[in-house]
Amino acid sequence: MIDEVFVYALSTCPWCRKTKQWFDDSRIEYEAVDVDKLSGDEQDAAADKAYELSGGRRFPVVVINGEVVVGYNPDKFLQHLRSWGGGGG
Amino acid sequence: MSNEPRKESLRYLFERVVTPLGYKFTPDAELVDELLEAEVKLEQDLGAPYCPCQGRSGVREEDMKIVCPCIPFHRAHFDAMKRCWCGLFVHLDVTDPDSLPQFPPDED
Amino acid sequence: MTGPVWVPTIDDTKVREGAYAAVFPMGLGVLLVRVGGDLFAIANKCAHMGCPLEGGKLEGHVLTCPCHDWRFDVRTGALLDAPELAVATFPLKVEDGKIHVRVGEE
Ligand code: SF4
Ligand code: FES
Repeated sequence: MIDEVFVYALSTCPWCRKTKQWFDDSRIEYEAVDVDKLSGDEQDAAADKAYELSGGRRFPVVVINGEVVVGYNPDKFLQHLRSWGGGGG
Repeated sequence: MSNEPRKESLRYLFERVVTPLGYKFTPDAELVDELLEAEVKLEQDLGAPYCPCQGRSGVREEDMKIVCPCIPFHRAHFDAMKRCWCGLFVHLDVTDPDSLPQFPPDED
Repeated sequence: MTGPVWVPTIDDTKVREGAYAAVFPMGLGVLLVRVGGDLFAIANKCAHMGCPLEGGKLEGHVLTCPCHDWRFDVRTGALLDAPELAVATFPLKVEDGKIHVRVGEE
């Protein structure tokens, strides 16, 4: 896998769903977690991580090859995807 | 039990809040329905229609700023996007909500 | 048929400094608030989701809704974070020791 993608999401958030859908449609593998579906310490840890990465409480938080994109923003996803000629610099 | 009656009352209550702020419900009816459905469930579970697209912290002062409609507390950012973070509300002149991307407050 | 009318409510002495009292002139929920010796009358209904403001904390001229903490200036009714949003305010006067509030459509 040349691209590493992780999606922090909320199960209630349509743009999180659309983000996952976009990666599905683009046939790019990713890992994802619905933070609100975790419990206890796991939830706190994932939420804290997402808040730390994004500097806020907005979802989705998408980490592509180490670069953070906050929000559903395909143009920015593409910028960081090596399989699309992005990433690095 | 159907959530439709509560969705209708949130629609009515929120319309009165967002109009004076220069916003309206997005013309994307499916998105409105999905978001209101999520808010009704959050209200049933947690006691308030929290934002479906922002995470709570457990600190009241912070969490009250993401009860819908949260526009008064994030106005400069939402005005820059011409939509609220979830896209439930858009500026009054917006007819094509899909053209408005989400970006965080420090970017444009 | 009916324009605004002056409705007598409670005794002036019933509203203490830095506090408020709920009254119901013609069935309308109104809060009488006294700050710095001045009296103000505002609707007892939040501009957010309609919670009664009664029970909220009063600090200076700022009344905080108990439901989700929206803050209103009791002088103007305006929401501090977005003054375009406001709760209604009502004219009032004290006559014969009673606070009268003017309610009804202009
Ligand atoms: S971002 Fe939009 S939907 Fe979410 S709480 Fe704020 S106003 Fe409501
Ligand atoms: S009803 Fe008053 S802050 Fe929500």
